[in-house]
Amino acid sequence: MGRVASDPSRDSSHQKLPAAIQLEQISKTYGSIAAVRDVSLEVQPGEIFGFLGLNGAGKTTSIRIILDLVRPTSGRACVFGIDCRKDSLAARAKIGYLPGELGFYGDMTGEATLNVLARLNDAVVDRVRRGELLERMRLPSRDLRRKVRDYSTGMKRKLGIVQAFQPDPPLLILDEPTEGLDPLMQDALYELLADTRRRRRTVFMSSHVLSEVERVCDRIGLLRRGELVLVSSVSDVRNMAARQIRVLFREEVDLRPLATRDRLPENCEVIETTARAWTLRVRGAMGPLLSSLGALPVEDIEVREPHLEEVLKTYYKDEVSS
Amino acid sequence: MRRTVVLAGHSLRRVRAALIVLAILLAGFQFLLTQVAAYLMRRDGFSQLADFIPDFIRTAVGPEALAFMSFGGVVSLGYFHPIVMTALVGLTIAIGTEPAGEIETRFVDLTLARPLPREALVIRTSIVLAVAGVLMLVAMLAGTWTGLSCCVPADAERPPFGVFARLAISLATVITCWGGITLIIGSASRRRAVAASVAGVLALTAYLLDYLGRAWQPAAPVSKVSPFHYFEPMVVITTQSLSAADTTILLALGAAGVVVSYIAIGRRDI
Repeated sequence: MGRVASDPSRDSSHQKLPAAIQLEQISKTYGSIAAVRDVSLEVQPGEIFGFLGLNGAGKTTSIRIILDLVRPTSGRACVFGIDCRKDSLAARAKIGYLPGELGFYGDMTGEATLNVLARLNDAVVDRVRRGELLERMRLPSRDLRRKVRDYSTGMKRKLGIVQAFQPDPPLLILDEPTEGLDPLMQDALYELLADTRRRRRTVFMSSHVLSEVERVCDRIGLLRRGELVLVSSVSDVRNMAARQIRVLFREEVDLRPLATRDRLPENCEVIETTARAWTLRVRGAMGPLLSSLGALPVEDIEVREPHLEEVLKTYYKDEVSS
Repeated sequence: MRRTVVLAGHSLRRVRAALIVLAILLAGFQFLLTQVAAYLMRRDGFSQLADFIPDFIRTAVGPEALAFMSFGGVVSLGYFHPIVMTALVGLTIAIGTEPAGEIETRFVDLTLARPLPREALVIRTSIVLAVAGVLMLVAMLAGTWTGLSCCVPADAERPPFGVFARLAISLATVITCWGGITLIIGSASRRRAVAASVAGVLALTAYLLDYLGRAWQPAAPVSKVSPFHYFEPMVVITTQSLSAADTTILLALGAAGVVVSYIAIGRRDI
C-alpha cells in the first residue's frame, strides 16, 4: 500500500495559513538506532490529526521534537510557521501538551498543580474555562484539594487533560489521551475534542486505539519503525479496505458459476456461499457487482462498512513480520 | 524571569518542611555547642581536654589544635563539624539534583512544554540553593547568637561575632562550590538517584582526600584538587579573617558549575 496524498477536500482557505505543525525531513538517531527517519508532515489549522504507530515507532520522539525537548539529528519542525528550535519559546506558547506519562508531584494537590502550570503559561488562565473543563472531566473541587498521590490513574489523566486545555492554546498535542480513562470519560474527552474542533483549534494526538482515531480524527499519519508510511484522511483509509457484502436470495441459486468466477467482477472475492446467501469481499466500487447480480433473485444486500483498523492492521502486521 | 520565579517558588514550597526542620536542627546544634562550651568552662574542662590530645596530633595539627580547645573553638566547631558539613552538602545534593529528578519523573515535560527556557531549571535550582544556604547559615548564626546571648557565663572569652559570620561565609563558599558541582551532575543526568550518588561519592572522596592531605604530607599536593582544601575554618578562627584566595577559588568553582550546567541543559535531549 502506498502513501496517500493529503486530503484535497479540505477548505482551501486553510492553505493560506501556515501549517499548525510542519515537519520537514525530521530524523533522530540514538547511536546506530534511528528513532525517526526523514519524517515530513503537515497538519493544517483546525484539524484533528491522529498519529499512529506501534510502541517504539517514533510517535513520542516526534512529539518531543515539536516541543523542543529532543533535538532532531536533521530536519526542522515548525508550529504555525515558527521554528520549534530557533524560536522555541514562541512555538511552545502556542501548544497545550498532554504527555503520555504524567509526571505530577504526588505531594502536591491537584489544584496547586493546575495553578503552578497555569502560571507558567503565556496566557492568563480563565477561571471560568478551567471550571468548565473540570466539570466536563468530572473533577470536583473536593478531589482537587487532595494530593495527587491519592489520585487513580484515570484521575491523573483527567488532571493532565485539564492542564493541557486550560490555557486554550491554538494547538493541542495529546499523547495517548484516553489511556486510563473509563468509557464515560472517554466520551467526555471526545466531546471536548469535538468542541475544540468547532472552535478552530488544532489537535495532534497519538493513539493506539484505532476506533478512537476513527471516531475523532480528520486525518491520520502512520509511523512504522520511525518512518511515516501513510498520511491520509480517515475516509480515504476506510476506502482502501474491502467492504464485506452479504447477498441474500429469495430462492436457491446455482453456485457453479462462482467456482470459475464467471459471474463476479474482478474486485470481488468470495468468502462463503450457501444456496441462498453469498458473503463477498469487495474492494473499490460496488457498481460492477450490482450489475452482475442483476439477473439473480436478490432479496437483500447487507454492506458492512470497513474499519480503519482493518487497513492499519495490515501495516502493523507488515511491521511485525518484516 | 517571572516563570523562573514561579518555578523557584514551587520548588521552595515543596522543600519548605525539610528546610525548616534542618534549619531548626542546625540552629539547635549551634545552641547546644555554646552550652557545651559553657559547661566545659564552668568545669575548667578546656585544660583537661588539651591534656588529652596526644603529642603526635598536636604536632600534625599544630597550634590550631589548642585554639580549638577553648570556649570560642568549641562554639566555632559547629561551622565545620562533619555532621554539619554532611547535612549541608547533603542538602545541596538533594536540591542540586532537582533537574535530574524532574527529568526522571517527567514533570519537566509539563513545564518545558510551556514557554519556559530550559535554562530556567538551572537558574531556578541556583535560586533555591542560595535561599536554602542562606536560611541554614542564618539559622546557625541565630543558634550561636542565642546561645552566647542568654546562657553562657559572663566571663567567657567569646570571640567577636564577626568570626562566626566569617565562618558562615566560609561555609557558604564551600556550599556554593558543591552546589555548582552538583548542578552539573544534576543537569546532565536522567536519574536523580544516580546524580545524587555520583555527587555524594565525589563529595566524600574530596573530603577524605583533603583530610589525607592534611594528615599525610605526601598527599598534600593531590589534596589541592579537593574543594575542601580551600575551606580553612581554623585559619578563620586563629586569624579572624577570610582568605581571599580560598574564597575566590570556591566561588569561582561554584559559578563555573552554574555556567556549565546552563550550557549542558541547553544542549541535551530531555
